[in-house]
Amino acid sequence: MASITRRRFLTTTTGTGLAGIFAAGIPPARGQQREISYLCWNNFAPLMDKKLDEIALRFTKDTGIKIKIDHIAAPQQAAKYASEVQSQSGHDLVEMRMHFPWLYEGQLVDLSDIVGELEKKYGKVLSSAAETAQVRGVWRAVPQYHGMFVATYREDLFKKAGLKIPDTWEDLYTVGKELKKMGHPVGIPISQNYDTISTGGPVLWSFGGLEVDKDGKTVKINSPQTAEMIEWYRKMFRDCMEPEVLSWDDASNNQSIQQGKAGWIHNPVSAYIVAKTMKLPTADTINHHKTPGGPKGRHETDVPRHIGIWRFSKHIAPAKEFIRYLLGTRERYDEYIMSADAFNLPVYENLQNHPVLKTDPKYAALLDTKGVQYHCYGWPAPPSDKVQLITNSFIMPNMIAKAVTGTSTKDALAWAENEMKKVMAG
Amino acid sequence: MAISTVDIAAAARRPSLRTRIGELLDREEWLGPIFVSPALILLLLLVAYPFCMALYFSVSNAFIGRPSHFIGLRNFINLWQSDAFRQTFQNAFVFCGAAVGAKLVMGISLALLLNQQLWFKRLIRGAVLLPWVIPTALSTLGWWWMFNSLYSVVNWTGLALGIMDPPGPNWLGQKYYAMAAVIIVNIWRGLPFFAITILAGLVAIPKELYEAAEADGAGPIARFWYVTLPLLKGVLAIVVLFSTIFTFSEFNIVFVLTHGGPINSTHLFATLARQVGLETGRIGEGAAISLYLFPVLMLVVWAQLRFVRKQAY
Repeated sequence: MASITRRRFLTTTTGTGLAGIFAAGIPPARGQQREISYLCWNNFAPLMDKKLDEIALRFTKDTGIKIKIDHIAAPQQAAKYASEVQSQSGHDLVEMRMHFPWLYEGQLVDLSDIVGELEKKYGKVLSSAAETAQVRGVWRAVPQYHGMFVATYREDLFKKAGLKIPDTWEDLYTVGKELKKMGHPVGIPISQNYDTISTGGPVLWSFGGLEVDKDGKTVKINSPQTAEMIEWYRKMFRDCMEPEVLSWDDASNNQSIQQGKAGWIHNPVSAYIVAKTMKLPTADTINHHKTPGGPKGRHETDVPRHIGIWRFSKHIAPAKEFIRYLLGTRERYDEYIMSADAFNLPVYENLQNHPVLKTDPKYAALLDTKGVQYHCYGWPAPPSDKVQLITNSFIMPNMIAKAVTGTSTKDALAWAENEMKKVMAG
Repeated sequence: MAISTVDIAAAARRPSLRTRIGELLDREEWLGPIFVSPALILLLLLVAYPFCMALYFSVSNAFIGRPSHFIGLRNFINLWQSDAFRQTFQNAFVFCGAAVGAKLVMGISLALLLNQQLWFKRLIRGAVLLPWVIPTALSTLGWWWMFNSLYSVVNWTGLALGIMDPPGPNWLGQKYYAMAAVIIVNIWRGLPFFAITILAGLVAIPKELYEAAEADGAGPIARFWYVTLPLLKGVLAIVVLFSTIFTFSEFNIVFVLTHGGPINSTHLFATLARQVGLETGRIGEGAAISLYLFPVLMLVVWAQLRFVRKQAY
């Protein structure tokens, strides 16, 4: 047998090894490890983030797959996702709010198999979550939970002044005038934030108005119904609110009622949960009631949140395993939902009467959903990237802000129509 | 096989690889480019490549995660139809003009003050730099709290002193106040850059010139006007040039304080580009917004650098 020199041995083995690595396209150390990463939002219910970390640790222990969870503030999500998609690198799993799966349709893995398994266990996905996570018949993300908006009010002030719980938006105007006189104005933001859309939408729908028609193409904002909605906002701003609402961010209405200023806000139950957790004096005085309605029914904003997997991920199988681990077992899903203290609720039909809603009598309003129609932004237009663009451009909030600060209703409507038409044409 | 003696002698004379590399490095035409190349590669990767990508995006219909096509100058033309963009264009000039103007006047005043013989001179000079040193996002959060409608310490102080009527200005909710607020924070943040750079220019002016002017009977104003200001022209031009570019491209302050609101009244090119390009996915349009003023700024840079060169020679 011919002898092999040390140099020849090293050259041959190094060359073969490198050729193998280049052919596989994965470095050897990474090829062996099973590690995934999840980009998740900073939950408005912080205890749910803690629970997620806890479940992730157990997942690693049970499966041997490491998981790294990074949290990001909600306003930065879109920019971060855009950079990950453009660079085709980043996390494996991503948390997606409302219409995001439509915006990133081509970049997300088909997760219909997992949703099918979950629907068998928990029942059908709620319509708002299905409309936003299922893109053209394919589940681009798995619905996790949703947060419903509801009316949040100072029960003590209402009792003191003998005020009736408002059943309609017009009733709220009557009540709001009294609240403002008492030094506790209504706190509905009218600024470039998402809470403004979350309230503006239900008010608009209750008056019979809409932004874009069912066909998803025809802009319908310039209508007598929207004019009615604007007039309602105009008198609310003048008689029931203070100009500070023009500068508010998504947290401001919560802070206002928690700090004892606002007498009524429109928000998920997070304002109460935080007040309770932080043992603020206002916690005992805050309660919730069913969202007000209008001439065309009682509508409310729903914010479903999903979990998706980027198509560029090199770890699709372990990422799917994590979703199954987190949501696929009733006990664990319950544990996860319970940690949010009714801020985030299950999105599957059979779990609607969830035990978390019975942990506090102040969550009764969340069970009183009879006659309330829940929608996502842009309804009744089917979700699409363009509807998402209209939302993210804050056209409706700016239309309202223009009207309440002096622009005529006609001009504000024409402005909004023009801006929306430009988005639809683009 | 026979090997000629000439070949052996030639092989023996051939220098080793190390010697040849050493000889190469001794030659200036090789050594210079080798030293420069790391910086050049970094510049190409971190500046030239993103810039070229942005240029391409601005003339394409690029949408996040989708194939894009060349559309010429359509993005730049369409932007003029957008009310938000026209408002942003106007905001940028108001913001930049007011902030740079105020920083220049206040920067010269502060530099003149710091140039005096003061007690704790070093401590004061160090303290002046603080706004420049603290991360902008962090310091702006402090300002946001001060202007916040619920907790505003500015309004609280104003009301306590009786110089404001309750409830005080709606700093971030009314368009003129909101613009004033972002300008104030930009001035606070950028003033140290002006003051310290101008101070360096002041220190470099020979004392003899002031002594001669004083001997000729020049008062403080005349000395400033005829000695200080002419000799500071070069420094001022550079400071104004840099500050104009930084101020036009400001992002953090507006993003943290107002998000461009109310009703787009404080949007600047960078914040609107982010909203359009990243939050709504239209990166082609977003890139066009951020590059809209590029030709104008290039012209400003060219004119000012020409002026500085004239001053130098």
